[in-house]
Amino acid sequence: MAKKIMIIDDDIDLVEAMRITLESGGYEVIDAQEGNKGYEMLKSEQPDLLILDVMMGTQDEGFQLAYQIRSAAETSDIPIVMVTAVGAQTGFEFDPSKDENFLPVDEYLEKPVNPQALLDTVKRNLSIG
Amino acid sequence: MDKPIWGKITTDIKHSFYTPGSLRRKNDWLIKLRWIAIGAALVYALLVKSLLPEVIPLGNLLWVIAALGAINFLYFIFVKIRSPESLRSEEKLVSIQITTDLILLSFLIHFSGGLENPFNFFYIFHIIIASTIFAKPTHTFIVAIGVAILFTFLTVAEFTGLIHHYQISANSYTLIQLILALSGFYVTIFVSSYIGVTLMNRHRKVKNLIYAQNEELKKASETKMKFFRFVSHELKSPIVAVQSSINVIIDIMGDQVPEKALDMLGRARVRTRQMLAILKDLVDLSYDRPVSKNQGDLVNPCDFLGEFIDNERPRADEKKIKIVQNICSEKGELKIDRFVLEKIFSNLLSNAIRYTPAKGTVTIETEVDNYFWSFMIIDTGIGMSKADQVHVFEEFYRANNAKKFATIGTGLGLNIVKKMVENLGGYIELNSKIDHGTTIIVRIPVNE
Repeated sequence: MAKKIMIIDDDIDLVEAMRITLESGGYEVIDAQEGNKGYEMLKSEQPDLLILDVMMGTQDEGFQLAYQIRSAAETSDIPIVMVTAVGAQTGFEFDPSKDENFLPVDEYLEKPVNPQALLDTVKRNLSIG
Repeated sequence: MDKPIWGKITTDIKHSFYTPGSLRRKNDWLIKLRWIAIGAALVYALLVKSLLPEVIPLGNLLWVIAALGAINFLYFIFVKIRSPESLRSEEKLVSIQITTDLILLSFLIHFSGGLENPFNFFYIFHIIIASTIFAKPTHTFIVAIGVAILFTFLTVAEFTGLIHHYQISANSYTLIQLILALSGFYVTIFVSSYIGVTLMNRHRKVKNLIYAQNEELKKASETKMKFFRFVSHELKSPIVAVQSSINVIIDIMGDQVPEKALDMLGRARVRTRQMLAILKDLVDLSYDRPVSKNQGDLVNPCDFLGEFIDNERPRADEKKIKIVQNICSEKGELKIDRFVLEKIFSNLLSNAIRYTPAKGTVTIETEVDNYFWSFMIIDTGIGMSKADQVHVFEEFYRANNAKKFATIGTGLGLNIVKKMVENLGGYIELNSKIDHGTTIIVRIPVNE
């Protein structure tokens, strides 16, 4: 059975680009454009991996959501890949090896989406999960 | 229309320039000044004694000077053990210091001639000092009144024989002379008070104005930068989406797209990358903050540079460029914004790699002395002409051969680096010869 990947990002064009990429890799893709709705969907759908945008709506909605997911028992096992344009925007490069206390996500991925990098990252994190 | 109105000066007291800390510095200053005055008084006492050995009671003078020394020592200890608490407590200390000074000065003048002693204008110094310290003009006038009372008491008591008069002139003075001398003295001290207070009032007004304007400018600049960042981000989101879509078409659906269309998309991808690079640089520019000097983390620049080069090595390998490093291993740390240092390294090193043809060499060296932590990046790249070197640090400037050699480049990198280095109090040098290569040297001051 195809692994189920969920994308939460408010930019539908980016969601589309990631969906096509992931579907080409044989994954099933579901998505939400907003945090609260995304969280509900995450609980009901129980995807194998979550791709989360850092800056939706408010500046840190993605971060808040990541905390919420990690602290709830029913969702805490889902691997999270965070996609972000923040690195370039603030000058702070995110590095999970340094920031794991700061934010419990599994990996960061820079925007714009590089299809091969996205597929590699997803594959890597699925095998760990 | 700059009318000095006494009542208005009092508002200065609330201002940030008039604080317990600032008054404490004035108190420290008075104590330092007094040590000098004590030395001068000793010389003075010996001088008058040698000039007028018959009249001057050297012993008494020395006692007064010793008292001044003892009191100053007490003040010295006091400010050492007590940190400034409030405006009131520091004002009190200033008042006590000025009061003891005036009393001891009166004794010095009494023992060396009283009214006839030309050094009685030393009282005026205290009035000037008071006007520079106290924000309230009434304080200065209270000092002036105190001076008037002390000097009147001293001279009248000497004249009437209530206390001894150490007469240094041939004849004793008459009542008329006393009245004239005292009148002149009163006018002098009150005019001095007035001038002192007026000048200080103006000085404080200008200082406040500059401070307020500076704050406004800072705010305006920060607002501008915020807007700058906001615009850059807003521009970035659509470009990111465009580039992501192009990436997906080329990388995932490439086989379904005609060759020519693929070529066009490839070009579009290069241009969107260029646009993103410019936006990234613009965001860096918006973080151009002069506060960077001596701020930030303690960073060991030698280690930091070493790690940085290791991270960049794959990019050089891709182009078959050899990186030679001869960098320091000192333990010392710089207090520096890590982000700023990284930007400086990354801009310069990526320039060196970008503008060096395959199989070239990029050498990184460091130099450490007591004043500067310096590094240089020497490449065997395309170099630049003398004409281009003049403009290379200007915004958006790209050398002609650089444009031909690499399409991507914003012309902002060196400008950003120069600003960052200068904000750190350092400087940047560039030597280049066309077709031979470029050497960039950055010197960052070592903090004390």
